[in-house]
Amino acid sequence: MGAPEETYFTPVVPMDFTYNYRVGPYITRYLDGFKDKKILGSRCPGCGLVAVPPRKYCGVCNKVMEEMVEVGQEGTLENFTVGHVTIEKGRLAPAEAPYVLGLVKLEEATSALLARVGGIAPSEVRTGMKVKAVWKDEAAGDYDDLDHFEPV
Amino acid sequence: MRNVGIVGIGYTPVFVSKRKDVNISEMISEAVEAAFSNTGLGPKDIDAVVFGNMHTFEGVNLPHLWAADYIASLGKPLMRIATGGTTGMSAFHAGYYHIASGLHDVVMVVTYEKQSEGDSQVGLMGIITPEVMAMIAAGIDVTGGSGMGAIGGGSAGGISFQASSYLHHSGAGIEHIDEQAALERRNAAKNPYAHLKDPDATAEKVAQTPLVSWPIRFGHICPTSDGATVAILASEKAAARITEKAAWVHAVANCASDATTANLIESQITDPAEHLPAIIASRQAYERAGIADPKKEIDYVEIYNGFAHQALMYLEKIGMCEVGEAHKLQEAGELEMSGRMPVNASGGVVSTNAIGTSAMNRVTECALQILGQAGEHQVEKDVHKAVAHGWGGMMQYVTITVLGDKPKKD
Amino acid sequence: MDINVAIVGYRMQSAPDLVTSRERLVFELTRGLFDDLGIERTDVDTTILDSNDFMDGRTISNVFIDPPAGVYMRDESKVEMDAANAVIYACMRILTGQYDTAMVVGIALTGSQASPYLYIEYTLNPTYERQVKLLNEVNAAAFQARSYIDRFGYSERLLDDIAALSLANAALNPNQARRISGITADKVAASAMYYEPLRELHCYPPTDGGCALLLASERKAKELTDKPVWIKGMGMSTETYYLGERKLYQSSSAAEAAQRAYELAGVKKPAQEIDVAEISALFAHQEPLLAEAMGLMGEGKAEQAYAAGETAIGGKLPINPSGGALGAHPVSVTGLMRVAEAARQLRGEAGDNQVKKAELAVVHGQDGVCAQQNAVLVLGI
Repeated sequence: MGAPEETYFTPVVPMDFTYNYRVGPYITRYLDGFKDKKILGSRCPGCGLVAVPPRKYCGVCNKVMEEMVEVGQEGTLENFTVGHVTIEKGRLAPAEAPYVLGLVKLEEATSALLARVGGIAPSEVRTGMKVKAVWKDEAAGDYDDLDHFEPV
Repeated sequence: MRNVGIVGIGYTPVFVSKRKDVNISEMISEAVEAAFSNTGLGPKDIDAVVFGNMHTFEGVNLPHLWAADYIASLGKPLMRIATGGTTGMSAFHAGYYHIASGLHDVVMVVTYEKQSEGDSQVGLMGIITPEVMAMIAAGIDVTGGSGMGAIGGGSAGGISFQASSYLHHSGAGIEHIDEQAALERRNAAKNPYAHLKDPDATAEKVAQTPLVSWPIRFGHICPTSDGATVAILASEKAAARITEKAAWVHAVANCASDATTANLIESQITDPAEHLPAIIASRQAYERAGIADPKKEIDYVEIYNGFAHQALMYLEKIGMCEVGEAHKLQEAGELEMSGRMPVNASGGVVSTNAIGTSAMNRVTECALQILGQAGEHQVEKDVHKAVAHGWGGMMQYVTITVLGDKPKKD
Repeated sequence: MDINVAIVGYRMQSAPDLVTSRERLVFELTRGLFDDLGIERTDVDTTILDSNDFMDGRTISNVFIDPPAGVYMRDESKVEMDAANAVIYACMRILTGQYDTAMVVGIALTGSQASPYLYIEYTLNPTYERQVKLLNEVNAAAFQARSYIDRFGYSERLLDDIAALSLANAALNPNQARRISGITADKVAASAMYYEPLRELHCYPPTDGGCALLLASERKAKELTDKPVWIKGMGMSTETYYLGERKLYQSSSAAEAAQRAYELAGVKKPAQEIDVAEISALFAHQEPLLAEAMGLMGEGKAEQAYAAGETAIGGKLPINPSGGALGAHPVSVTGLMRVAEAARQLRGEAGDNQVKKAELAVVHGQDGVCAQQNAVLVLGI
């Protein structure tokens, strides 16, 4: 039932999609915290979950998280992967060099934060390692300010 | 078939151009909170959730995944429905089938759009990406006059063919479109959840707005809105526990045609105002609802009119009056909130258009009229039965819902 | 409640690149289905389409596949998630008694996309993950794989064994897209590393594909076929979006979905009662992880089960005898193909992939990063 060969397009659509994503009050405060090199989370009044980055709802309790808390700059590497590829704009390609991504549980936080892990050879990385936040010198209130985590 | 009733409705506090203060999921959660607070229900009372929006507008794919924590859906079945402009009503229908099938008792339907976050016209043009690509490949400038002519100039352009055909067949004039827009913006002024409101709107004022593509003027066209709507549906048994008064679903129906009926591409062989799917779906819905004469039996109508003429055109299509009669009813004042056949007391889509909610709001507004809870925009006559209409896709897809004040008898 | 809705026919197709148009694919699948059953499009009372606008590259993608599916001046709606859910919706519609037949059609040209992973990138929170640009579907799965093998102290070799078994089954199956002859665990282990511990052959291949099913009420099913496959149970569930708050080594939503499906089907001991399972495992480790959630495998027993061949075509409880999603993953269609593959088993039409005893099957579909949402159906003869 193979289709005969026919003309088809593989377009890169030249339409200009512009999005303006409003971040809302929680991410606004999170990024404000970055200006002072602080990491903020939100605490659930039900189960006590401290979510980093902060957000409005704890889905499990269906409660609004109103309380903002500052969490620690150090934490535990709960899980990691060494990337040998990158996926950018939906395309998978070999990475220039292996790099480490980790799920970091910060002190006083309940959720784990996905971040780059540096300052260590990929082959040396182990789960359970203590790591700490490394900031860019000049924090501007952008996600990039929190550059990566490195072993304590 | 099991009866299904609407037992709760929740809107975001406002429907406006730009909700700059919240992100998408936060905005959606406001409508869920409203539905819970209006009914006294909570997440534990909900068996399943249905979710709908038109996701290419905001550029967030399957947004129910991110929103899951904000809509009380954890640990629950969560179904995403998407049919374009009709998504809100298609999602409502899915909620209805969840219960009518006997599988669930209480289902929450969540719909939204936050149109300020994307570009709706570009999103709409995405419907015909391959056609646009073929035109580009053939050397046609799609942004220039000939290209725009061929593709109808986006939604408003395509609709102008429909409006001019409607005027030709009905004998109505552009002044009737002006008046319909004015009437609905006046109605919108009484609806706290409407977007464009003008208590002093007149046909003369609308007639002064620029012509976009004859006979469509700027004042005939819907806004782009940010907002969310939630409806909670229940089986007869569950409804009795939750509320004393529900609005009951008597029938749902829908019908799809093919894209050429939009009269925009491939050929111009059909009449974009013919809209056979509206005729087929409404007849099927009346038959299922046991309605022999909709003109006599239906008290209230909500039409999905992104463009003002569509309120008049679809009244004729869905059998609420004869062809050529709608504008005469308008002249006689019968379409007003005080009239014999009130239409779009909510202000219609022409006043408020957060697309994912637009077809859903037609149903919830019918429900509010039946429940007598429409507040300032409650119509004067008693509403026992109402019909809600939605159109979408490429002007080739229609959904219909018939509601009543009592459960349907077999 | 008794469901009494049957699958009466199916058609499916997949390839790395089908070299076809969306419309032609839909037409060939549905026309083929009608011909198999000796019916016409007007015999289909309602249709549930399933395609994803981002994958399709078109807003309101059902508009253009209505006509080739025979949906002209007829009833249709669209589910936009894994099409196992579309089967559940179609089944609901028949259960109301309003319709006797319902068709489900899913298509996705994922393999011939220039950027097959863009679809999932766009599902991420646009105010956070999409801006931070660290998370994607494959590295999330790598975290899940690490969490799973660390939890039970498995060696990474388990992933190679699982993938080799799936891919060997896929090689026997003409419906699959990735068919590698002579596949072994060593060959899997030699494939390119993506995100440790996941290698290329541990991961789904982006694939073109489509599938069409016809469901019918009990009365109509007996008219249309002498080999009806009955839907006995259905269930869905959802868990938190936030990866850093999930126990990645398990799937609470798959467990809940399965529990709901088993309850409807009256299945009490799935590991004993189920004859064959078709699970949408997009990555090798998800097969045992989801099988555990669905009560088909004991916790911590994966290494033992795979070593003993328990999940192989000739094993005690064959899992993915079709080759599963490692053989083809047309986004959103995969769960529907699992339904069709299970029907193929239950009707004894599975050829080289046929398991010995196939009377009761469980099938699974998933959506979201690390299977945030799951749908489970129980099918039987």
